[in-house]
Amino acid sequence: MTNRRNVLAALAAGVALLGGAVTAAPAADLTKATLRLKWLPQTQFAGFYVAAAKGYYKDEGIDLTINPGGPNLLAENLVATGADTFGLSGGLDSVFAARDKNLPIVCIGIAHQMTPFVFVARADGPIKTIQDFKGKTVTTWFTGANHVLNAILAKNGIDPALVTIQPQQVSVTPFVDGQVDVITATRYNEYYTIKTRMGEEKLRTFVAEDSGITFPRDTLIVSETTAKEKPELVKAFLRASMKGWKDAFNDPKGAVDTVMAIAPTLDRAHQEFQLAEAKKLMVAGKVPEKGLFWIDMDAVKVTQQLFVDAKVISKPVDLAATFNTSFLEAIPLADRKP
Amino acid sequence: MSASPLTHPAVTPGGSAALRLLGPLGRLARGLAILLAVFAAWEALVVLFGIRPYYLPRPTVILAALVQTPAPYIQGFLRTLSETLIGFASGALFGIGMGLLFFRARALRELVFPLFIVSQTIPVIAFGALVVLWFGNTLFAKAAIAFYLTFFPVTVNTLLGLESVDPRQEALLRSFGASPLQLMTRLQFPTALPQIFVALRLASSLALVGAIVGEWFGDTVGLGVLLLQGMYTENVVSIWATLLVSALLGTGFYAAVAGAERVLVFWGAEQ
Amino acid sequence: MSAAPEVIAAAPRAGGCALQRGVLGIVLFVLAWEGIARGFHLPSYTLPAVSDILASIYAKRSILFTAAGFTLTEAVVGYVIGALIGVTLAVVITLVPPTRAVLLPAATAINSVPVVAYSPLILLWFGIGMPSKFVMVALAVSFTVFLSTLAGFDRVDRRSVDLLRSFGAGRLAILWRLRLPTALPLMAAGLRVSTVRAIIVAIVTEMLGAYGGLGWVIYQAVLQIDFVQVWGAIFVASAASLAFFGLVGFAERRIIFWK
Repeated sequence: MTNRRNVLAALAAGVALLGGAVTAAPAADLTKATLRLKWLPQTQFAGFYVAAAKGYYKDEGIDLTINPGGPNLLAENLVATGADTFGLSGGLDSVFAARDKNLPIVCIGIAHQMTPFVFVARADGPIKTIQDFKGKTVTTWFTGANHVLNAILAKNGIDPALVTIQPQQVSVTPFVDGQVDVITATRYNEYYTIKTRMGEEKLRTFVAEDSGITFPRDTLIVSETTAKEKPELVKAFLRASMKGWKDAFNDPKGAVDTVMAIAPTLDRAHQEFQLAEAKKLMVAGKVPEKGLFWIDMDAVKVTQQLFVDAKVISKPVDLAATFNTSFLEAIPLADRKP
Repeated sequence: MSASPLTHPAVTPGGSAALRLLGPLGRLARGLAILLAVFAAWEALVVLFGIRPYYLPRPTVILAALVQTPAPYIQGFLRTLSETLIGFASGALFGIGMGLLFFRARALRELVFPLFIVSQTIPVIAFGALVVLWFGNTLFAKAAIAFYLTFFPVTVNTLLGLESVDPRQEALLRSFGASPLQLMTRLQFPTALPQIFVALRLASSLALVGAIVGEWFGDTVGLGVLLLQGMYTENVVSIWATLLVSALLGTGFYAAVAGAERVLVFWGAEQ
Repeated sequence: MSAAPEVIAAAPRAGGCALQRGVLGIVLFVLAWEGIARGFHLPSYTLPAVSDILASIYAKRSILFTAAGFTLTEAVVGYVIGALIGVTLAVVITLVPPTRAVLLPAATAINSVPVVAYSPLILLWFGIGMPSKFVMVALAVSFTVFLSTLAGFDRVDRRSVDLLRSFGAGRLAILWRLRLPTALPLMAAGLRVSTVRAIIVAIVTEMLGAYGGLGWVIYQAVLQIDFVQVWGAIFVASAASLAFFGLVGFAERRIIFWK
């Protein structure tokens, strides 16, 4: 009998624990909101974590929960349905695709102003130029990076059918072992891993910007409802996030500490490198004049044309309804500049 | 872990208190000895054959990783345990309830049962993204997946157990004027209990699977999160450390259910 | 899941009325689904109508059938490998009893980790192609088959073994003449349960990384916000599981009846 009671007591304790975790209510006058990231916690998102840790969102009256993403989640979908308030979603590609499918989302800012992907080959290998991709095996992710690859091939007049394009492994090992000729890498993740394992001097990189293509990614999105009904919340969120990012740029060590407190199994050296790369991507383009998260509508139009040409989207979307710079512009320029 | 209790009859409690105490302690000691031997052999193999740590790290390296940053593993253990417990408890209750209902209402059972069967052929991970939509990033989203995996075996075994009641015993009790409720609590349910526990033991492992898979859909804490993070950062040591913690959780929870079975079924048989 | 087949096997015994009710239940469920989805104008990312899903399956049949073929190949190859490993281990333990003390704890230790938890490791080791799915499915199947076969071998009556032995039968002969026929029903149950598991494990692994298959289709469809396609792939996966299950169940009835 005692044993049985113990089991029940343990069960009850478990349920109580859970109840506590869920109902731990915040101060009453804060607005509850969530931010859905595009991926697992890492310093690519450091500014948001710093802003949360330093209470910048609370200062703006927001009780913000940061929800990480994962391989089978789509921020656009979660934001459109109201499951999450804000989203740091894939990029212009996923924003266009979502609008093309009539998901009611609005882009309120862009984090990475230039293409975060590079294509990596061996420096001592046969691939010296984009033209050499012909007849070779290139692996890429079919989650956005494939559009960059196709656009680069098209710009250089290469028929994609001549290139063996395969979905990319989770691991970079096939490239390191020489089974793959060209691999896709984000500047802040895979490139670091490859560089660490092979040495930077052994690598040759191909950058989209060299082919005249820019592919802004890491877009901040809200639902149409939020944009219409809670403009102050959106502005407050942007203000606090900018403050967090500027702190992260000024004190990278502290920012890495903040992220590593969330995900302690990460590699510190890698995360420091990642933050430095994220900074480069975030302050590129028009950001020095226009401030963080700026939406460069000229770049947006060029990218949209790329998607229409590649038939990724069926028709051009309503740009005025999809992109809203008014929230950014409501913040004084001095506060926006990095 | 499901080997011995499935294939051997449960140890009959009895004898002196000392004997009863020695049983579990002896088993524990034997288990620990085997575990130590496995670790020693593993360590030796890796060192002897020079296996790259990328494929198989030495156990000492894995244990060192656990000792250096214990927090995420402890938190992950507790979080995954809570999700598993909630999913398991709700799945077990629902399963037993449905089993009782199906036992009483044959028409309902024939109407609904095929749907239950079809539900089990659906890869639950396909719903991961939807479950997050429906339940948000709460414990309940994971518990819902664990629930989905556990309720069916419990339903089936409850039903089978109830149907295995000897009709003569039933007739006998009825002839003494037992009410349907008395019949259930005194005869049918106790008779079905061993069969129910077979399913509960299976469900304990399935609930853990559900919780871990559920954590792949955007969360910060949990063993599933650590696995995913380890995979994408190619941190093989962390993956192995998480596997060890998962094994500990799986074995512990299984043992707890098996322990409850020994106590409860014994108590049930005395009625 | 191990208990499922017993009732699935029992269902037809209940006669034609049960079958009709079962079909009625499914029809009612589908109608209710359709009614809710249409009646409340639910968007497809919440719950698409069944008719839309079926139409989408028809429209994309070539993609889905290719994917189903991919997944079935992974599941069946992994299943056969896993079943062979499971039966072989049980035979070895029975023929050479001292190995039990090593093999059983080792298998139990490996099995104490939920199978899906191995997938990140297996994907890193074997890549995202078919081999990683073969390994995952084999891992999931082998343990179930191993345990059920061993339980079957162990179930024989001690006295029958002694009797055969007194006639000079060796271990191999006892295994073939006595243990195997006795073990067949339990073995078959293990094999049957493993079918559904094999397909689910293949899909779960595909969703973390693959070149094709139903899990890959689901993954891509989520990213392309095509939830009707997600449901289509789920329907096809469910049908494939039921077909695989039915096929093995059919083979089992033939073999055991013939024995």
